[in-house]
Amino acid sequence: MSEALLSLRGVGKRYPVTTSAAGRWRSFWEVLLRGQSGQGTVVLEDVNFSIRPGESLGVIGANGAGKSTLLKIITGVLSASSGVIERQGSSAALLELGAGFDPEYSGLENLHMNAAFLGLDRKQVAERLDDILAFADIGDSIHEPVKHYSSGMVVRLGFAVVASVRPDLLITDEILAVGDESFQKKCIRWIETYLAEGGTLLMVSHNMYQVQKLCRQALWLEGGKARAQGDVFDVTQAYLAWHERRSASEVARSSERLSADLYSVAELRVDGDDTGEPRLAMGDELVVRLRLRSPDGRAPVVLVGLVRADGTPVYGVASDHDEFELHASAEDEFCATLRFPDLSLLPGGYVVRGHAMDPEGLRVHDTVETSFTVTGRSRELGLVRLPHRWSSE
Amino acid sequence: MRLNKHWWSLLPDLVRREIRSRLVNATSGWLWLVVTPLLLLAVYGFVFGVIFQARVPEGLEMPFVAWLAVALWPWLAFSEGVLRGSQAILQHASLISKVAIPRQLLVVSAQSAVFLLHLIGYMVVLVALQLLGIDISWQGLPLALLVLATFYGFGLGLGLGLAALQVYLRDLEQILPTFMMFWFFMTPILYAPELLTDTLAAVLVFNPATWWIEEVRATLLHGKWLPDGMLLVLALAAAASVWLGSLLFARLSPCFEDFL
Repeated sequence: MSEALLSLRGVGKRYPVTTSAAGRWRSFWEVLLRGQSGQGTVVLEDVNFSIRPGESLGVIGANGAGKSTLLKIITGVLSASSGVIERQGSSAALLELGAGFDPEYSGLENLHMNAAFLGLDRKQVAERLDDILAFADIGDSIHEPVKHYSSGMVVRLGFAVVASVRPDLLITDEILAVGDESFQKKCIRWIETYLAEGGTLLMVSHNMYQVQKLCRQALWLEGGKARAQGDVFDVTQAYLAWHERRSASEVARSSERLSADLYSVAELRVDGDDTGEPRLAMGDELVVRLRLRSPDGRAPVVLVGLVRADGTPVYGVASDHDEFELHASAEDEFCATLRFPDLSLLPGGYVVRGHAMDPEGLRVHDTVETSFTVTGRSRELGLVRLPHRWSSE
Repeated sequence: MRLNKHWWSLLPDLVRREIRSRLVNATSGWLWLVVTPLLLLAVYGFVFGVIFQARVPEGLEMPFVAWLAVALWPWLAFSEGVLRGSQAILQHASLISKVAIPRQLLVVSAQSAVFLLHLIGYMVVLVALQLLGIDISWQGLPLALLVLATFYGFGLGLGLGLAALQVYLRDLEQILPTFMMFWFFMTPILYAPELLTDTLAAVLVFNPATWWIEEVRATLLHGKWLPDGMLLVLALAAAASVWLGSLLFARLSPCFEDFL
């Protein structure tokens, strides 16, 4: 294993109090006397990771999770309050729109300056100028002041300069979202080639598809801490599932709870690890076990529904659809087990709902739900994998 | 961020950019390099020669404006340099929050640009004075330039320290221009120190700017051309200023972004 290009150990960041004059004054003395300020808001805590040459890491997380702060610390724009950061080799960052561009100057002058910031000398810039201009593809606007540029043009120029530098480590923020479709594709292609040729990438994105496409590792930040890190598919799926659940729980709270004085679901369980939420791989067998109560001893009808964690229905089936009759396991208690062999649900977070219905299968009397996660390395889109076959007829 | 060779090689670019930004909006930008100092010289000549009818100290045969100009331009370079330098960090806040460059460079380049511009102006003024028939002691010029170089260093240290402080203590931005004005009047530029009462003159010794102003006049007006102990003193003062300023800057700069 070669040495890490970048490694972070226990990195944390605390923003000092700067809103009030008194706070500033106190922070100032703390910085002056102790080298850092004690009070403030913690935005990052104990982040650890390292990137070796050729690796690619995607940083994901909700807004305000500390992603941008982390990037700023990595690029050296911001200093960490605690922890150790070690850097090897060259790195170039594309942070935000028009990073380091002075709007008063022409694109060409900014290009020179930016290239110099990234470590190119005059001669190297002159050699690569044509390539840079061709990549940016903004025509004669290069002689206009940058303040007259559209946001897309600024990104084009910024990316073109970085592309010409070919850093050992490329760090990008949410920038690719700005360019138009064709430029985005050009950038993605460039990054893919760059990665294929052994480049190293660290990117922040809300676009999970992009992260899965470009990165092999992912780091999920939440509230300034690493909530999960590791293989990109595991982390992004857990992240998406968490998101879906968050929005679903808001919906669920508002919906009324159905009365359970008659037929009710006593237990709903998905087979899996005893600890925590069940995790299944695509293709595993999903086993749903139910225990229902019946007040009059008659066998209730059970309806099992699968929904995506955000509430999108996937599939539902009732025992009377299949003319399956529940048998009593104890007095007034009925058990049912439903198996889905060779699970074709695509990776993500799901909820299984068990509904207890009257024996006629007309009314739902009780609903209980539990969640599980399907894992797998798939970039297919949608909810389920439909049987399919390609051919070139 | 450590300053290495690559970053130092950026300095000329930054200085050039700084200078261009001050001239770029004028249609005949570079011409103003020559015209502005001459205009300023004419204004001072009118105010002090015609209105105030000021006289040079005894022993010199020259119009007051010449005597003034020799000291005024170094002061302008110094005071404007310190002011610009101290604002450099706040002015480039957007750059600092996006690009990892050593922040000292911004202060150094701002101050160097100002100093260079005024140095050019100074040379223009000296030549103009000579053409007007005033006796400038040109043999003192090399020493004068050395003295100015140390003055630049002294200002640079101040600029670095103040720039760092200003990020945290924004009030400085309001106070500094007034303070520099006061400092200007507390330095014998418009008047000769001999004009002062003994008590005030004794205080002047503790004003470092006086050392440089007196030394510059000694070289260009009195023909002093051999470096002596005074140059050493000035160089040491400049070194001390740069050292202290850098120390303060290095201490405060890691947290700049938090306060910008």
